[in-house]
Amino acid sequence: MGILADEKTRIIVQGITGRVGVAQTKLMLDYGSKIVAGVSPGKGGETVHGVPVYDTVKAAASEHPADASILFVPAPFVKDAAVEAIESNIGLLVIITENVPTHDAIYIRDQAEEAGVRVIGPTTPGIICPAKTKIGIMPANIFRKGVIGIVSRSGTLLYEIAGNLTLSGMGQSTCLGIGADPVVGTDLKTILRLFEEDKQTKVVVIVGEIGGVQEEEAAGFIRDKMKKPVIAYIAGRSAPPGKRMGHAGAIIIGERGTAQSKIENLRRAGVKIANKPSDITYLIKPFSRIINRRK
Amino acid sequence: MMLFEYEAKEIFRKHGINVPKSVIVQSPTEVGKALQSLSLPVAIKAQVLVGGRERAGGIKFANSLEEASEKIEELMRSKIEGKVVNKILVEEKVDAKHEYYLGITTDQLSGKPIVMVSLEGGVDIEDIAKEKPETIIYKKVSLSRGFFQFEARNMCQQLGLSRTLLQKVSDILYKLYRVFDYYDAVTSEINPLTVTKEEEVYAVDAKLEIDDNSIFRHPDIDLRLDERFEDEIEKEAIKNRLSYVKLDGNIGVIGSGAGLTMATVDLIEAFGGKPANFLETGGGITDELMEKAVEIVLKDRRLKALLINLYGGINPMVDAAKGIVKAYKKLKPNIPIRVKLIGNQQEEAWSILETAGILVVKEIQTEVAVKKLISLLGEQ
Repeated sequence: MGILADEKTRIIVQGITGRVGVAQTKLMLDYGSKIVAGVSPGKGGETVHGVPVYDTVKAAASEHPADASILFVPAPFVKDAAVEAIESNIGLLVIITENVPTHDAIYIRDQAEEAGVRVIGPTTPGIICPAKTKIGIMPANIFRKGVIGIVSRSGTLLYEIAGNLTLSGMGQSTCLGIGADPVVGTDLKTILRLFEEDKQTKVVVIVGEIGGVQEEEAAGFIRDKMKKPVIAYIAGRSAPPGKRMGHAGAIIIGERGTAQSKIENLRRAGVKIANKPSDITYLIKPFSRIINRRK
Repeated sequence: MMLFEYEAKEIFRKHGINVPKSVIVQSPTEVGKALQSLSLPVAIKAQVLVGGRERAGGIKFANSLEEASEKIEELMRSKIEGKVVNKILVEEKVDAKHEYYLGITTDQLSGKPIVMVSLEGGVDIEDIAKEKPETIIYKKVSLSRGFFQFEARNMCQQLGLSRTLLQKVSDILYKLYRVFDYYDAVTSEINPLTVTKEEEVYAVDAKLEIDDNSIFRHPDIDLRLDERFEDEIEKEAIKNRLSYVKLDGNIGVIGSGAGLTMATVDLIEAFGGKPANFLETGGGITDELMEKAVEIVLKDRRLKALLINLYGGINPMVDAAKGIVKAYKKLKPNIPIRVKLIGNQQEEAWSILETAGILVVKEIQTEVAVKKLISLLGEQ
């Protein structure tokens, strides 16, 4: 399987009756994702593209055991919905919603860690294991099954990088965004550990960006613990300091969070650095023997 | 959203944190009346959102009414790091025996608030952390459990304060956490917390940044967009919940997703072009929003070209295309425009754009679009 999910993963959609929920549920079903139920308070009893809708996660999960939940709930209600899912023993939460208050994200992460629940996001495009499942909003046509794992802090930049690889005939094992907020449920380092343990993944690509110190932290892990080749692209080289570049987390404060610091730390840990998205393909080429090796 | 010092102090005061007596002044004519309620000497502080305000000339002191009016007038006319001075805080000067640092911020790695206190205040916390890290006492806090008064006392005890100061400083540290928690703060900070020789303590500076995503929970906070954003284009973008950063080139950039937009800006520079801005739509594109985004970027008179870079994941590309066409027909821009658009509904969106005469780049690589646009500019 890829990391975090596979074709057997049973999914609940929270916020399934909203405009985005309805549209994205259809796209996930088309991809073959195993959506077992939806939740929308006050809309229990309806169906969305054949998926039964419940008022509460508890009711949905008691009828349809589920492994994961994807949230399309509006930002002010994400905290409530996430804690509801955590307390219903759903093991994996994918929070797509943008603009979630940081204090709510902190609270969710606290509760999830205590309960042993994995949270991806907020502000994530979700997870795709090509040809297996999609618990996310990414356009499916640009991904292809293969052995490259991609972890990204950004959504659409993940699409660009995966698209570049697919175009060069390099498929992916699992692609995911960890979320672009200052506080996210699962950090870069943790995802790298999962990729290192994953049998399908042979090469790992990091798509980073300015702000925070996740890449710097990850560099230590790569140096000490990773055997698989790692390639990284960092966005925001030309970003001015002190300005928030779209994502709440993408800001250079003083000397902290610059692209240069991330690039240097990763390079020292043995990571190959791509200066442009298209360089990634060419940096992977030397590893084709590893990629083509069976098992 | 960063609050002005006077706004932060007002909140701190309401939460029981001792701040110096002060008056806000908006014109030199108000000075006389303002000074009636204050005792001299006074500090005269420009209310601008600039780091290192004193070094930048934004803080002055006065010993008499005449001196105060003179300096206020001078500050009102000047700009501090390019920022207009709309308001001045006139406040009783506190004589410092010691200056401490108290602050709470979010530790991104652990995902927890971190409470910090140090006896080495008056300089940036980054500098304290670099030069005397051992002087910072800190504690990571569980937001759901909260931060207790005894924990504040335990922290302050490690500083070796006198009994009186231990009580006063730990009380303020605890209250500062309450403000952080209540206001969904990114950072709440007192630097310096000034201690007089009589062991009185005052928050002489106050910093409070509220998480933009939590503002909706705080209707008592006045947005004061006109004071916070001087640039008309930035203000317009904020009002439409678009993320806009002005850069110093001539190629306009609109992207869906911050990472993609940053990468687009980087690529323009890498291929020898100069980006004029960064504008990111987020995941809530509608045709109105897209139309607004194009309008906002085209307001910039420096523009020689425009690149729009979109992915249809959560964003509806047909609506995006319609919005671009609306703005295009309305403004009839006389500069080259390229739209790169990939993902769900791409064919339909391409046809909407092409029908309106807008050139579309259909390759997935942003680099292709960037190179095309830059070579076009070179030919001009």
